[in-house]
Amino acid sequence: MAWLRRRWRGLCANPARKLVGLTLFVVAFTTVVANQRHQGVVRDEDVYMHAANRYADWWSDFLTLKKHTLTKASITQHFGGKRLTANNREHPPLMKTLFGFSEKLTHNKLGWTSEITGYRLPTALFNALLILFVFLWVERLWGMSAGIMAALLTLLMPRALFHAGLAAFDAPVVAIWCTTVFAYYQALKSRRWCIVLGVCFGLALAIKHNALILPSVFLTHYVLIALHNHRDQLVRGQIWRTAGRALWRNQPWVFPALFVLGPLVAITLWPWLWFDTSLHVRQWIGFHLDHTHYNYEYLGQNWNHPPFPWHVPIVTTLLTVPVATLVAGVIGAAHLGYKAYRRESADEQRGPALLMFLSAGAAMGPFLLGTSPIFGAEKHFAAAMVTIAIYGGVGVVVAARLLVRALGMQRRAVEVAAIVGVSVSVCAAALVETADAQPYALSHYNALAGGAPGGADLGMNRQFWGYSARGVLPFLNEARRRNKQPILPVYFHDADMTIGWYQRAGLLDRRIRNSGREGRGIAQSQYAIVVHELHFNRHDYMIWKSYGTVQPVYVLTTDGVPIVSVYARPPLMKQYFNRATTKPRPRSGGPKAPSPHR
Amino acid sequence: MVPSPALTASDDTTAATPSEAPPAPRWPLRLAAALPAVVLVAVCIWEIAVIVRAGDDVGSDADWDRAAAAVRADHEPGDLITFAPRWIDPTGRLHLGDLISLDMAGRMDGARYGRIWELSIRGAHAPETRGLEPAWTGHFGPVTVRRFEHEPARVLSDFVSLLGTASRSGVVARVFEEVGFEPHQCVRLTPVESRGGMRPAKAVYRKVRLGQTLVGYVGISDVFTRRDFRSPGRLRVLIGDKQVLTKRVGVRDGWMRFEIATTPTAAATVTFVADILGDKPGRRQVCFAAEARE
Repeated sequence: MAWLRRRWRGLCANPARKLVGLTLFVVAFTTVVANQRHQGVVRDEDVYMHAANRYADWWSDFLTLKKHTLTKASITQHFGGKRLTANNREHPPLMKTLFGFSEKLTHNKLGWTSEITGYRLPTALFNALLILFVFLWVERLWGMSAGIMAALLTLLMPRALFHAGLAAFDAPVVAIWCTTVFAYYQALKSRRWCIVLGVCFGLALAIKHNALILPSVFLTHYVLIALHNHRDQLVRGQIWRTAGRALWRNQPWVFPALFVLGPLVAITLWPWLWFDTSLHVRQWIGFHLDHTHYNYEYLGQNWNHPPFPWHVPIVTTLLTVPVATLVAGVIGAAHLGYKAYRRESADEQRGPALLMFLSAGAAMGPFLLGTSPIFGAEKHFAAAMVTIAIYGGVGVVVAARLLVRALGMQRRAVEVAAIVGVSVSVCAAALVETADAQPYALSHYNALAGGAPGGADLGMNRQFWGYSARGVLPFLNEARRRNKQPILPVYFHDADMTIGWYQRAGLLDRRIRNSGREGRGIAQSQYAIVVHELHFNRHDYMIWKSYGTVQPVYVLTTDGVPIVSVYARPPLMKQYFNRATTKPRPRSGGPKAPSPHR
Repeated sequence: MVPSPALTASDDTTAATPSEAPPAPRWPLRLAAALPAVVLVAVCIWEIAVIVRAGDDVGSDADWDRAAAAVRADHEPGDLITFAPRWIDPTGRLHLGDLISLDMAGRMDGARYGRIWELSIRGAHAPETRGLEPAWTGHFGPVTVRRFEHEPARVLSDFVSLLGTASRSGVVARVFEEVGFEPHQCVRLTPVESRGGMRPAKAVYRKVRLGQTLVGYVGISDVFTRRDFRSPGRLRVLIGDKQVLTKRVGVRDGWMRFEIATTPTAAATVTFVADILGDKPGRRQVCFAAEARE
């Protein structure tokens, strides 16, 4: 109670910070939840949502002390198996477990959400926590305005917003990555925070393997900061001894937290590691070191084998993050670099700006090597986007204050007006990019590229995961109704794993059936869809051969760029064209989203 | 209006306060100080304008309808229809796909077509019209239609169509497949490298007419075999007993052109042989198309 009273008094004393934080949290959460209702189901979600049910079932049994839950056989049945991908054991379980519990609670029990939204809520929650945390950290270091802007710029990233609405791990790992970075920053001055650091790192490991890179950020930062802080005590001729002493004096407890507590937390949350731990860990990491290289189009070439171009993460970032955010980020980075050079940083002892820079570098670093799989585009190094947004938040405020100084009108009202003016401009640009991108954000490229058509001209990846098939579901439903067929076999191509989810959500007629895969599936189909990616062209050609025509009956576009084509067998395709001229009735279309699920 | 103290809280982004402010800087410095904000706001305005207008230069359904109607009005059987850039191809086929046969879509190149229609947006051009002057141009919103006319290549022997007459050894088939991410009607030779040694694939055409040149293309089909088996293939062409071409074809090479000067004859023997360079076991799908031209 005393603790609660203290918190309440603190809140009353300075409510602005808390209120703004809470508002940002609510805005972030509701924006993502509302937006995801129009997003298609991505291929990986199908796997994660199935695994989510099994994991949540097991934990329910475990927590209710059901018999035989703790046996090797039961754990294997829910979390593992012989194959390296059995029960999705190649990915840590924390988010999947949360997806499962969330769906059980919000959909099954309370009936508040659709099934798909139920699974996706934990990701939206993690993203909202990220926005809140970015605000709180930046506000503390560089002021309220920079904090608000950094949080908004983190939220208004076209692709990050898309990922925040999926039952996948990319957005959650960014959130936990940044939380762990913050915990490390706090731990540099507090042993108690070392425990938080260990727990956060453990949670990160239990979410996605990207977390394995984090210690490199902390090690580098720790060494640089320790040597910087004790530079006066470094003695020439005894450099190793004095440097060692400097490292020891800084905060050595972060390392047991990282290397002992972190793994322990991860193992606790991952029953599959409760036996044969070393083998299962090696298999988990080995899977990702030896991951298949999926096809990915980049600057007009299809890449599916290393060596990849080293500049993939840089160019992808330059073409997908809103340009105004990038420019603000450059201004902010220049300002923070200048302040560091002048030894006037916000917290020179702990170097937060340097820490964020290293965080971004570590997130992108593996993709500069030319050997790491590049097929996930920006989602694999999305933690770097938070650094850009934080620098951007600082940059906006710095630019506005420099403007006030240039005008020679250093009054508070003018300063506030300048900050508001520049902030609104930058947010408006980021908002326009982000809104334009939805719900097909993986096809979106920023103004620097020239939007989606510019990205297509540059030969950038059109999309992945097959989620845009959702945009043609109304057309297929209409086709089923129009043709009055009891069962309509459709070749679903890259979206075949997700049609069950669409049917359960009421988005796809249950009398539409998946006709199967590849040539046999096409041969048995009446309609066929192709999700456009460069390496999927071959599906077009297989359909042309089978259907005897190259003419689709519907083309789904985003900003005019084709993303899905629908074909019909010639007897059925006649209905879509005026008989005399075979001129199509208006059929190509932009993202007219079908009615959303709750 | 009294600004919220929180919005102007002191931090290291703050410029010097008035009491400790240095004398007002000279105008070049003032200009430099204003520059970040000016640039930032200018970028925002430009960015919003670009994104709001994105897709306006791709053409609406009505634009494509009118462009397609213009093509239909003057279309003759056998005219080649192309779209540029490549990514607009599905939209183009939606409007004019009934005029594009499978053979046309899987063509070796555009040389044998005397009339070529090009429907393009954003200033793009199809590779088939490179170096040609349009005989007619029409604009339909952002969609530009051009008709090109040129002397078509006269084909004396088409080695894809003649495959049925050729003797084959190894795995040889006529296919319609993806090569270099484009559709091609071609002959697929599948040499196999195994522990027992290399088994090349061969097609021998007898009594074929040759003209001044033999033009062909070669590439490796199927993106997944290109990914999983990296050894390059090789195509050799023999006329009679004489080897006239050796073409190495790697997994990233796409659809590669070759041209061989030939002596006109009414009954030549032409042999195409594919093998694998490298000693890793695997199957290489080497696809070629070739024409003897006058």
